[in-house]
Amino acid sequence: MPLRLTKILLLCLALAGLFCMARVNFNLGSGLLLSAAALALYILPWKLDPLTERKLKRFRDIKRGYYSFIFLVALAILSLFAELFANGRALVVKYDGDYFFPTYSSTQLGHTFGLTGRDANSPVNYRNLREHFREQDNGNWVIMPIIPYSPNENITYDGILRPQPPSWEHQHYLGTDSTSRDILSRLIYGFRIAIYFSLAFMLMVYLIGIAVGCLMGYFGGWFDLLVQRMIEIWSLVPFIYIVIIIFSVVPTGFSVGTRIGILLLIMVLFSWTGMTYYMRTATYKEKARDYTAAAQVIGASTARIIFHHILPNAVSTLVTFMPFTLAAAVTSITALDFLGFGLPPPTPSIGEILKQGTARLDGAPWIVTSAFFALVFILTLVTFVGEAVREAFDPRKFTLYR
Amino acid sequence: MIMRIPSKFSLTILLASVLLLSGCGDRGDGLGEAHDIGPEIEEHYATFKHIPPEWNERLASGEWSQEEFDEQVEHLPNFFRFASIEDLPSDLEWEDGMDLPEFGSPDAIKGGTSYGALQDFPRTLRHVGPDSNGSFRPMLLDDVTLGIAERHPNETDIGPKGFHHYPGLGKEWAIDLDSQTVYVRLNPEARWSDGEPVTADDFMFMFFFFHSPYIQAPWYNNQYAENFTGITRFDEHTIAIHVARAKPDLATRALGLRPISKHFFDELGPDFVQRYQWRFQPTTGPYVVREEDIRRGRSIALTRLEDWWAKDLKFWRYRFNYDRIQFNVIRDTSNMYESFRRGDLDKSGLVNLPEYWYDRLPDDHDLVRNGYIQKVQFYNEIPRPTYGLWINQAQPLLNNRDIRIGLHYATNFERVIAEYFRGDYERMRTTSDGYGDFSHPTLTARPFDVDKALEYFAKAGFERRGSDGILVNESGRRLSFTVTTGYRHFEDLLVILREEAARAGVDFRLDILDGTSGWKKIQEKNHEIAFTAFGTFPEMYPRYWETFHGVNAYDDPYLPDGSPNPDREVMVQTNNLVSMANPELDRMIDRYRRSDDVEEMRELAFAMEELIHEEGPFIPGWVQPFYRMAHWRWIRYPHDFNVKISSGAGQYFLDWLDPDIKAEVEQARREGRALEPGRVIYDQFRGD
Repeated sequence: MPLRLTKILLLCLALAGLFCMARVNFNLGSGLLLSAAALALYILPWKLDPLTERKLKRFRDIKRGYYSFIFLVALAILSLFAELFANGRALVVKYDGDYFFPTYSSTQLGHTFGLTGRDANSPVNYRNLREHFREQDNGNWVIMPIIPYSPNENITYDGILRPQPPSWEHQHYLGTDSTSRDILSRLIYGFRIAIYFSLAFMLMVYLIGIAVGCLMGYFGGWFDLLVQRMIEIWSLVPFIYIVIIIFSVVPTGFSVGTRIGILLLIMVLFSWTGMTYYMRTATYKEKARDYTAAAQVIGASTARIIFHHILPNAVSTLVTFMPFTLAAAVTSITALDFLGFGLPPPTPSIGEILKQGTARLDGAPWIVTSAFFALVFILTLVTFVGEAVREAFDPRKFTLYR
Repeated sequence: MIMRIPSKFSLTILLASVLLLSGCGDRGDGLGEAHDIGPEIEEHYATFKHIPPEWNERLASGEWSQEEFDEQVEHLPNFFRFASIEDLPSDLEWEDGMDLPEFGSPDAIKGGTSYGALQDFPRTLRHVGPDSNGSFRPMLLDDVTLGIAERHPNETDIGPKGFHHYPGLGKEWAIDLDSQTVYVRLNPEARWSDGEPVTADDFMFMFFFFHSPYIQAPWYNNQYAENFTGITRFDEHTIAIHVARAKPDLATRALGLRPISKHFFDELGPDFVQRYQWRFQPTTGPYVVREEDIRRGRSIALTRLEDWWAKDLKFWRYRFNYDRIQFNVIRDTSNMYESFRRGDLDKSGLVNLPEYWYDRLPDDHDLVRNGYIQKVQFYNEIPRPTYGLWINQAQPLLNNRDIRIGLHYATNFERVIAEYFRGDYERMRTTSDGYGDFSHPTLTARPFDVDKALEYFAKAGFERRGSDGILVNESGRRLSFTVTTGYRHFEDLLVILREEAARAGVDFRLDILDGTSGWKKIQEKNHEIAFTAFGTFPEMYPRYWETFHGVNAYDDPYLPDGSPNPDREVMVQTNNLVSMANPELDRMIDRYRRSDDVEEMRELAFAMEELIHEEGPFIPGWVQPFYRMAHWRWIRYPHDFNVKISSGAGQYFLDWLDPDIKAEVEQARREGRALEPGRVIYDQFRGD
């Protein structure tokens, strides 16, 4: 029964990934990654061994962690459709008997909806269009999302760009930032970028970390020593300075997407080392066991022994680290943004709002509170999941010999 | 076994890294032997001549052969001339400017420490050479040292001999317009901060110094070789400066010269940049930087000389009142503001930004209402800094005029001024606003207009909007440009420009760097569009050569027929940020630089502005006809606050600290007692 729920979730995830891919201006890579991973998990025959099933059951029994997990996944999936909730573009426009769905279509110019003069050749401002249609009152209408603002729009309602306090009337539920951009809208998009950035970061770090760690543990000897020393040197390089240095030479001509990709790569490049040591130890341990020797005696290939025998046994310890890696990634991207070395402006991000907020502690406290609570909320959820996973996978309760 | 191998292994690594490190050499632990500059000075004094630029042109164009040229040069007088006091013409009209009104307040109290903040620690203490032109230099040179005579900051009209001057290092001077010479009698009392007297030799050496390639400052090399034909030494305290062109501001150019201390730079040589990087050079002004006050990256302080030679002289006696001026580096603007609010900093210019003026330190703020902090808005009358977008025409697409004009119409400075600056500022009209009669009377910046922008972009082949609304041409190139700036505090403003430009189908990618690296990138001409401004100072007429002449854009801008040279290389480290190379404009700039006639120069200036407007390399931003600042009550200013041509409240050092008021404010704050709020607006110099 719960398995079915998981499968449904996975299917949703796969569809969401595909959906992202279909849209060019969202990060193509992460969409692809997501849908491939989810589809693979969905299609593969899920014959869980009893032990894993028991662990999962235990995880589900830890209610706080389990519901946090469901909630987090739901938020992540919903955020993929953020354009439907927080957007300056309308959901539906009815104009002269035709229906338009501008959310995901390409930019519409004013003349499409019969606007004239200065607005004819500009991209449509749907909020104004809504008012315009209301005034005209001839059967045309516009439905706007709940938060009718895109994250980068500067909207004034008193003619001056400055922080505005939260207001239901103006649909700025968390107020606006120092140049009158909607904070909630920026938080939603900032969350989306942060969470998928962190997921991609985690996947890549684990991929490299597990591969290298496994090889070190399995081959041992000189190879192990050499890689250990390399890792020691490598991990001494101060990560934050490298990010700052590299980012100062990355041509700004690159698109925002590319720059985010580069940032991801740099972060991965300096973060994979931590995982290798756990993996190396686990592999050493497993390699010394009888079943590995048996496999060797039978004549199994190195690849088969690593992937089929050792990895499944060694990897269970790593699973418990995953949520914490995710939390660390969210924190570091926020920190980098806060320092001004993260995502290029005007990309919405929690760190950037936090920076604005700390600069405006007097006079505009809603900026910093919004960002602070959003960050705490996300990190708390992730930590709950992490604690539950750790408890559920605690090896002191289960051991596995194959 | 397992223990042994790794230790051996890491030993190898250790050895290898030691070897690697030792390979890096011992750079930095001192410079070599000091260069002996003496013979070079003598050689230079004996041989250097000012060669009129047009002679070089004649040689280059083949009108003169090398022999003819050499012969002509042979007959030129030497740049450095030695005469005796008897040779001084006797019919000179000497003036000393002592009848001009004094400025500053006789109530000023000497003493105390003023606390200020820097956003960036100065890169060097040198006045010239790489990295020297930073925001701290005014504290070392421009605002605190003395020229022969200085332009009077309140009497700004143009008289028959140019501006009015009050005496500095000069005791008196005589301006001979016919021979383009300014005769000067130096004040024999004038002393360097190390006690040495200021003499004619320091002025001779000044020219040698600025001609020298060692200082790595081509602008100065050029300026001091081209604008002056020579200097004559009559005796220890009498000199004459010969100016190359009879420009209307001839006297100001000569009288504004600031000598260079000869005895200090006797180690001038190829290692000048490193050798003098952190050495405070002797000053004629009241403030020195002591070795122990330089805490690199953290703080720096100016200390007043107890026995400054000019401390009792008219025009100088009521200024430079603090004993010590301490600058701490505070990189974050918010922290800087918080420091000011706490009273750690005495003054803040941050309120110049509307956000601070209206929202963060509003008039009904407790500190302001109670009179502890006073807000000041002072209308000045000076050439305006050129805030705007400088389009680098050496970049692809931006070399297309239609794209540039489209960008003009796609840049919504009107919205920035109205909504971000709250309508306080005005749209800049040309590259030279605020020069009075020299500013173009009718030209205005192109307004934001999506339709016109689209029309021009369409002419350049950008007709279709992509799915994100940004224009795309036939070959799929997006209409997207990087806007580079070193002004972090204007990030929000650029974000607005970016969002507005997107309406017209242009994508501005923002490249927001810290001040130093932003300016470096722009100086290296690595920008597509730069958002920056040139600081201006009260000159008689605007400059065009630096920012728009072809020789500052490319090494070899044109082919002989005047068409662009396909092999030309971009000139870096010049102020031609727009890579403007237009033969017609160059000709006008050359004429303008040679002209001595105010009327002709004005016409040329207008014609050049029109051409620049037509070509569109510069999108004018805004001008601010005033400056604003806030200060704690214990900082006092003269009753009319400041002088007409001041660009900031601190420039003329007219303020002082009143310890009694400081005690009073502190007591009032403890008791929660309100004091009388101060005057806010000083508009005696407000224009129309």
